[in-house]
Amino acid sequence: MDNGMENMLDMYLFETNSLLEQLDEVLLDAESADTFTTDSVNEIFRIMHTIKGSSAMMEFSSLMTIAHRIEDLFFFIRENTIDSIDEEHKKELFNLMFFSTDMLRAEVEKLENNEPLTSNVDSFVEKVNSFLNKISNKTDETETAKKEGENDQKSENCSTELPQDGSGAFLKVTFDEGCGMENLRAFMLVTSIKDIYENLTFYPSDVETNPDTAAVIIEKGFLLGFDTKQTLETALNIVQSSGNVQSYEILMPPQAEQEDNVPAAKESEPVAQNHIDAAPAPKVQAPTPNTQPSAPNTNVTHVGANKQSLISVNLSKLDKLMMLMGELVITESMVTSSPELQGLKLDNFTKSARQLRKLTDDLQDTVMSIRMIPVAGAFQKMNRIVRDMSKSLNKNVRLTIIGEDTEVDKTIVDSIGDPIMHMVRNSMDHGIEETVEERIRAGKNPQGEIILSAEHTGSEVIITIQDDGKGADPVKILEKARRNGILTKPESEYSQKEILALLMAPGFSTNEQVTEYSGRGVGMDVVKKNIEKIAGTVTITSELGKGMCTTMKIPLTMAIVDGMEVSVGKSIFTIPISDIKQSFKITPEEIIYDAQGQEIVKRMDNFYPIIRVHRLYNIDTEITNLEDGILVWVGEGDKSYCLFVDELMGEQQVVVKPLPSYLSTYNIKKSGIAGCTILGDGNISIILDIATLHHNTSDYAY
Amino acid sequence: MTEEFNEMDMERSQALNVEIKEEPKKFLTFLSDGLTFAIDATNVGEIITNYSITIVPNVPSFIKGIINLRGQIIPIIDIRERMHKMPLEGTDTSCIIVLDIDSTSIGIFVDAVSHVVDIYESNISAMPPNSSQELVKGMMSLSKEQVILFLDCELLLQ
Repeated sequence: MDNGMENMLDMYLFETNSLLEQLDEVLLDAESADTFTTDSVNEIFRIMHTIKGSSAMMEFSSLMTIAHRIEDLFFFIRENTIDSIDEEHKKELFNLMFFSTDMLRAEVEKLENNEPLTSNVDSFVEKVNSFLNKISNKTDETETAKKEGENDQKSENCSTELPQDGSGAFLKVTFDEGCGMENLRAFMLVTSIKDIYENLTFYPSDVETNPDTAAVIIEKGFLLGFDTKQTLETALNIVQSSGNVQSYEILMPPQAEQEDNVPAAKESEPVAQNHIDAAPAPKVQAPTPNTQPSAPNTNVTHVGANKQSLISVNLSKLDKLMMLMGELVITESMVTSSPELQGLKLDNFTKSARQLRKLTDDLQDTVMSIRMIPVAGAFQKMNRIVRDMSKSLNKNVRLTIIGEDTEVDKTIVDSIGDPIMHMVRNSMDHGIEETVEERIRAGKNPQGEIILSAEHTGSEVIITIQDDGKGADPVKILEKARRNGILTKPESEYSQKEILALLMAPGFSTNEQVTEYSGRGVGMDVVKKNIEKIAGTVTITSELGKGMCTTMKIPLTMAIVDGMEVSVGKSIFTIPISDIKQSFKITPEEIIYDAQGQEIVKRMDNFYPIIRVHRLYNIDTEITNLEDGILVWVGEGDKSYCLFVDELMGEQQVVVKPLPSYLSTYNIKKSGIAGCTILGDGNISIILDIATLHHNTSDYAY
Repeated sequence: MTEEFNEMDMERSQALNVEIKEEPKKFLTFLSDGLTFAIDATNVGEIITNYSITIVPNVPSFIKGIINLRGQIIPIIDIRERMHKMPLEGTDTSCIIVLDIDSTSIGIFVDAVSHVVDIYESNISAMPPNSSQELVKGMMSLSKEQVILFLDCELLLQ
């Protein structure tokens, strides 16, 4: 049961989160159009309804109440059409809606963190109610009054006239014993039937608001009234497919005795109430097979055919699959490159091995693609941030999203969310000019723009956040850096690139004041750290007065890489192929020495330092003459250099395994080691991290 | 030999714990530089003799490197060097004991494994104060010449 609850909670969180995201999107769309379309009103109504239903099922009352009030609000809007609300109130409505989604989200977050939910949401309910009052007063008062009167009459009808209505048909629904909250279940049933059949009457009629009715339903069943038998039969499908319905009965009027029993049922409330209290937490059960053989079953298949083709899978299962895939790749190369096969002529074996290789490659691609999700989720959230900050900072900014369909590994999407948010906030806060006048004076579009884009380039995904604001002022940055004491050399020696890199140094923030959104001085270096955690890089380019652009380059997947095996003495290292530019032999004449005796080599009109791996890692090798070994030119930009190794051993696809945690206490990551991998022969090869290896060489004694 | 240990144990513990029925615990004993050490057998995953150690650069010298144990990467510590003695040269009897401590796997490189003994925990005495012996949480004398030192697995991880 515990486990079941856990799974249900997972499902609930997943569902609610995606609904809230959907809701945000609808709201943002609606806001940019400045009104709600009928579709969006229906959509919001539907979302709130679902959240309310599932929250009630899970007994999260605060969530349920919030969703319920919004549902009411949108019910009203749906009835009276959006046009009945004037501009001023619309604005208020938008703010109220954003506020309420935030509240829902905060509650869901609490659930995720296992914190207790807010028990009191009265102030919120009050807010919605007063708003509802405001807008309902606007609409024709007499009309509402009439409506209310009608409603009253209707509910009156259902309790008194039901049995006398000769043309109607009734359905008596009994819920599973002990399923709890029968009234809400009944109400859910009513709303879903109302989707197809408007004139539904039901008893008890106040199931939605009166929890005591649960007792009545347990005792007497839940009565649904239809005009004709045909409508009843279509509704049967819904009843059959809804959860917790134990049985139902079709009743034909007159049913006077049923009616007579009702007051008696009310009297038995206390007893029944106890019964509910004793009922265990709600559980979802497969719909009980109906006890009514006469029920039309033909339409049930129709429901099945509409089932979506998506399933949600626990991430840990995918991780496991990925791990097994890795093992398979290793084992495959273990078998096919087994030393026992060396020198044998095995035509059939080679053929099958090649086939196997192709299959594992395909399998690997498929496994990877399962974990790939579009970055849209992380990007869409920025809409909301830009919207909120535009309001509070009083800046007019538009967010343009490019390439949101770009797919990346799930772990990457999860870890780029925060960095992107930081950057967007930075752009909003520091980047875009304070006033429209300032922008006009600079000859720019009065509306600021932030462009968020994602694209694939073979092995990497590149995410850029670009704004057309005032850009970073190198003089100010230097000044700030000096004040914060993070300069490491004389100011005049800093290049433009290095100045911009200062932005990402810990404890740097160009804003004078700490604002709500940014300026705590932790922003950029956290961005850098987070991106480096997933093996990515961050670069900033900026032109004063024209804006700033942050580029994040992240390797698509970290688990399996194409590597070049190189040997140094008895050790084998793997250099990721994507880092290698060239490998070459040199002659003694090509080696240049600088004042410190550092060996330098010229490649393509540029000079690169030579780093001897055997010296760097203190490995005994016979090959110490540069011309005996081989140089591998690696890295990019100013982090480019040549590694000196004994020899190249060949290319191989390797599975990156982290080094044991025991070793991480020795700061092994800092010495340029990214992880290790198991080679086909069972030996371990250490994977070099070209970027940090370069860092490490700054204090490497040449 | 083992039986001898057990009998002695039994006698002694019977003498000491007449009333308290204490279950004996299994310990694996091994030799390192002439000393006999014991570790709780529940921590012992397996003993391997056929291995190839990959050197990891830039780590303290007592970390011999890492091995591949059926796809699992396990760090190997030379117990001699960890206790600031001369490093162990591989011999016929030397082997690696793979320990599982708090779900972390770690291998220790030892001179030789002796055997599994049943020991009553109450018979283990604390180390004398001011003892400079590292990683040991207790000791027990077997015979006049032989003393077993009990290795503290948790300390080994730190």
